[in-house]
Amino acid sequence: MEERIRQIMADVLDLDPRSIDGGTAMDSVESWDSLTHINLCLGLEQDFQVSFTVPEMEAMLSYEDIIRVLAEKL
Amino acid sequence: MVADGRIPDEPRRAFQASLDAGDVTATMRSGQNLLGGNPQAGTARFIRRAMEKTFVGHPALAPLRVALLSSFSIEFVHDLLIAHGFVEGLRIELYQAGFGQFRQDILNSASGLYAFDPHVVILAVEGKDLVPDLYRHDAAEGRVDLESAVTEAGQELAALAKAFRERSAATLLVHNFTPPTWRRLGILDGQLGPSQAERVAALNAALAQLCRESRGIHMVDYAGLVQRVGTSAWYDDRMALYARAPIAQSALPQLAREYVKFLRALAGKTKKCLVLDLDNTLWGGVLGEEGPRGIRLGPDYPGSAYLEFQRVVRGLRQRGVILAIASKNNPADVDEVFATNDHIVLRPEDFSIVRVGWNAKSQSLREIAAHLNIALDHMVFVDDNPAECDEVAHALPAVTVVALPTQPEHFVQTLLEPGYFDGLSVSTEDLRRAELYQQRDQAEELRAQSESIEDFYRRLEMEVVFAPVRETSLARAAQLTQKTNQFNVTTVRYTEAELLERQADPASLVTTIQVRDRFGDNGIVGFMMARLAGSEMEIDTLLLSCRVIGRTVETAMLAHVCEHAARRGAQRVRGRIVLTSKNAPAQDLYDRHSFQRKPGDPGGATDWELDLSAGGIQYPEWMKIVSEVSAS
Repeated sequence: MEERIRQIMADVLDLDPRSIDGGTAMDSVESWDSLTHINLCLGLEQDFQVSFTVPEMEAMLSYEDIIRVLAEKL
Repeated sequence: MVADGRIPDEPRRAFQASLDAGDVTATMRSGQNLLGGNPQAGTARFIRRAMEKTFVGHPALAPLRVALLSSFSIEFVHDLLIAHGFVEGLRIELYQAGFGQFRQDILNSASGLYAFDPHVVILAVEGKDLVPDLYRHDAAEGRVDLESAVTEAGQELAALAKAFRERSAATLLVHNFTPPTWRRLGILDGQLGPSQAERVAALNAALAQLCRESRGIHMVDYAGLVQRVGTSAWYDDRMALYARAPIAQSALPQLAREYVKFLRALAGKTKKCLVLDLDNTLWGGVLGEEGPRGIRLGPDYPGSAYLEFQRVVRGLRQRGVILAIASKNNPADVDEVFATNDHIVLRPEDFSIVRVGWNAKSQSLREIAAHLNIALDHMVFVDDNPAECDEVAHALPAVTVVALPTQPEHFVQTLLEPGYFDGLSVSTEDLRRAELYQQRDQAEELRAQSESIEDFYRRLEMEVVFAPVRETSLARAAQLTQKTNQFNVTTVRYTEAELLERQADPASLVTTIQVRDRFGDNGIVGFMMARLAGSEMEIDTLLLSCRVIGRTVETAMLAHVCEHAARRGAQRVRGRIVLTSKNAPAQDLYDRHSFQRKPGDPGGATDWELDLSAGGIQYPEWMKIVSEVSAS
């Protein structure tokens, strides 16, 4: 799961997948803005075949938050 | 390599291989496979990045600047639009107006929109953003005057269209509007006075009327598109409220494809010819095994599904699509089906050329293309057999291949959904095209019997009519500039609005060319524009439909320019050939007519000049010339 999350993040945010770690967050990544955030949420939804609620999307503000929210849904 | 583990492996490998080989046509074809069905956002992004890295500026891709103006967040369609455009041979560059800034961008002539100098502008406004009262549940009729709200919205659209046209000659595509998903009065909506749905329909009718009365403004039938998909699947209420992005991710590919239908037509890439297989395509079963009476084609399933498909194909022919057959069969069996089946819809004369035999299908397609004088990338090949589809796709990557699904009831959707044959206008020539091609065949037969080429020209009894662009010929003239690739010296595409601008310029000669011969009226088959600058008449557009290539019509066109130039006191006629991969038939035009090549050619083009003091060019003696151009 974590590998797939990193791939989607790398694709949407235009990052090197190897650079994504616990410190990767909306605050620290320049390309992670409100628009790419929606793209990221939609990309994760399509890939993991889930549907996020708005509070979940608002909570997914870092790599670790994404893992946590997704783990609860899967 | 772009990371996206979810793109299907096999098509992705094919895409990567053609990308690595730098083969743009094969990459477009494999990209098409990747984008089939409901592609993931990552797939479109992957294709967009690959294209922008490898093929930017590639001559096979037509550059197109597209501006998106919307009342909501439409950014999520960008990757899909660019990817879908690429697989159709378009290099789309996008301008995205600021959120909800469509009015400001259109009304302010110093806006980013006009600085971008777009070819096409898409105005995507949701009904609830344009006429909020009509969609609000708490706007009770009586307290809110919905009728004037709708009238005013129609007037605002008209004013925006007018302001836009004053500032730009670009093509404008305007969404129409969907009715509210949930009606204010529920099941009573239609019972008490004009319903919400009727009011939206009235607004759509006003918009349709506006488009019909304007030049270069077209309606995107957004309501029809949403209806095909279904309102509840189209809209994502969550994203509408959270991110002002009302269109569901799963619906965006369909929106991108709808736009591409327009862009394809504007770029002159509308398909012209449909080549059909017979067995399990136009009827059920294998004719060679089951015999003319054993195949399924009649009122009962599955024969009914094949009949339905034949009706759709016949409708395409009536729209001007040229039909052809490429089938592996015994010709006598095929003739017997057409002669004896009581239900068959298509007639032998519906097909401009029939290739029934045992050659490879790609060979039949080549022969059909040569016979009709049509480029391969204007052909669509339809077959149920995956092996045949694969053979054609590999041998002729420029041909669009449609592989039919197993069940014949899905054929209609498979053929019509991509909109390959959709154009932005239907001219009389379109409606008569198949017939015109038959006339051409008769003319070719005459040529084969004739003793000399001059005799052939004489016996054609050609009459060539030069006329200014008129109301009735404007659509055809614009369409000719958009569609003609072979005999076209500069291959510049023009919209109707741009042609009207040129026509209004007193220094310009803007002329359509109509050709009649003893076999009938070919309609308007040529177009040219020239402009007087000082003592020189410069030809910037000269094109001729392939139907009349090789009949010296081009000589008459040059003679007409010379005559006009001399009358207006010019001393020289100049012309440029912009070399493309397709315009070989036009490349020696000026050379053949004694123009002198000028030194210092610009890249990819040659410049030519003719001194009129030697008498200019004469009309061929075998033609009757009718000039309806005003003697200014």
